[in-house]
Amino acid sequence: MIRGTTTIGMGRLAGAALIALLGLGPAHAQTASAPAAAPTMASVEPEEPFTHTLPDWSPHWGLVRGGWENGGTRIWNGDTGKMVGLVATGRWSDIALDPKRRAIYVSETIWTKVNRGTRQDMLTVYDPKTMALVTEIPLPGRLIIGTMKNNFVLSDDGKQAFIYNFSPASSVNVVDLEKRKVAQVVELPGCASLVPVTGVGFSALCSDGTLATVTVGPKTSTVSHSQPFFKAAEDGVFDCFVYDRTKGEIVTVTYTGLVRTVKLGASPTIGDAWSIQAAAGVRPGDTRPLDINWFPGGRQAMALHRATGKLFVLMHRGEYWTQKDDGEEVWVVDMASRKVVKRVPLKKPIGNIEVTQDAKPLLFLSGDNGLVQVMDLATYEIKHDIERGGGGMIVTPDVD
Amino acid sequence: MKRFDIDSLGEKLLRTFAGNTSRRSFLTKLGATIVAAPAFPLLPVSRARAASKPDRSPEAKTAFARNAQTKDDTKCDYWRYCAIDGSLCSCCGGGVSSCPPGAEPSPVSWVGTCINPDDGKAYLIAYRDCCGKSACGQCGCDNTDRETQLYMPQLNNNVIWCFGTKSMEYHCSTAVLVGKAS
Repeated sequence: MIRGTTTIGMGRLAGAALIALLGLGPAHAQTASAPAAAPTMASVEPEEPFTHTLPDWSPHWGLVRGGWENGGTRIWNGDTGKMVGLVATGRWSDIALDPKRRAIYVSETIWTKVNRGTRQDMLTVYDPKTMALVTEIPLPGRLIIGTMKNNFVLSDDGKQAFIYNFSPASSVNVVDLEKRKVAQVVELPGCASLVPVTGVGFSALCSDGTLATVTVGPKTSTVSHSQPFFKAAEDGVFDCFVYDRTKGEIVTVTYTGLVRTVKLGASPTIGDAWSIQAAAGVRPGDTRPLDINWFPGGRQAMALHRATGKLFVLMHRGEYWTQKDDGEEVWVVDMASRKVVKRVPLKKPIGNIEVTQDAKPLLFLSGDNGLVQVMDLATYEIKHDIERGGGGMIVTPDVD
Repeated sequence: MKRFDIDSLGEKLLRTFAGNTSRRSFLTKLGATIVAAPAFPLLPVSRARAASKPDRSPEAKTAFARNAQTKDDTKCDYWRYCAIDGSLCSCCGGGVSSCPPGAEPSPVSWVGTCINPDDGKAYLIAYRDCCGKSACGQCGCDNTDRETQLYMPQLNNNVIWCFGTKSMEYHCSTAVLVGKAS
């Protein structure tokens, strides 16, 4: 029945196309007979449809995930405000870019019959130029959560992927990206939100307030824990922390606004904590109700420009337990001097922030309403307001 | 007055779970999670227990608790929704603790501790997702009282909790009253 309907439909389409072609004949002839119209002839030459390839990756690109209703990830050129292409990311997926720009990776989950059938988890590899599907690496599972910044991360050399799984037991898939297969699955109870550790494996934040470090061996791995340095249930560290691969560090921020640097390694070094509010000359954040202050918040609440050591944090006014509220200001923190050097008011509520890593950086902002904004950090002016540009998490390509 | 008891919560959750599924591998994984997560809802609850008389005065309440209401469960400020994230099933053809037609309730959930403004007492709420259909998309709420990050998933409201259901596709979220928290 379905097949019959399809055939009729195709037949109608073909017929319409034929009529259109026949109709074009006389019109074309008339145009040709009018001398004044001669210059336009070239514009009606038959065309061959084709597909573009991506231009060379620009450090000024921002890949912005669509909102809940449209999970595709649009690639925006921050210089022009124009769309360059789209990465096919479904609702249940995370994206990562190869640090050497050799591939676009999507870690994703689908079902064979859309909302039912056999569940399929895979790491999908796309060509960085043609965006053609290269291969799909089957995964034993992955957390279904929409998208989060640190659930799918790559090693600095781009040879390994670490994919968080929750089933609801917590584990990490270690994927060999050269052999394109899962190398091992590491059980990691009570921990999530991953960061690569060069020469070691990866680290993760844990519910006991520690940082777990997983030393990945050829076949098995060992897990060690730092001393506790935060209180997960009372003043948790945002799991969207930022990673500086040039220094082998992460910068973490807690709900109340405590900033801390952690030097990664087989034995990580936990830095001391300091208040982002105090760094701006404001009273430090507190957990007490009715204590209205500036707090960090959002979905992707912070970004780090590695070369200048500038941390950009989405801040909003309110009470404690507003950690997912959109930002009203961007606070620019100089990590070296531990000072907030600029507070930039935002005209629209913003939930996600990311910065390009080049010498003339742009700030990408996105909000729940699908708005994408591009801010020039030389002037702090908004260069582009892009309606329906995305609204979700933002990724910028690495630069060498 | 029945006090909240972690064992009884576990029993209730597992009993419901057992009644709904026979997936052994899932039970094994769930067991591993509970063993692996000693902090499972103990933290907010233990705090409440530690104080001989929990302070439920307006000054001690979160902004959500001070403004919560008990009449309309299709609004984000309904008291049980203090840590919900998602579409309210009560706006999707279901109820505050029941799934819309054709959707399957998840046997496990994340939890919240919410204060009922009518009696000033704290209750443990299980946010069970309804699963197996495309997203309802109505009455989206995202409240974050005592909500934690992903490394403490039992108190994180982003995770899709459709574990042990026929399909993990997310439809909407309910707020099931489990018991008194203090």
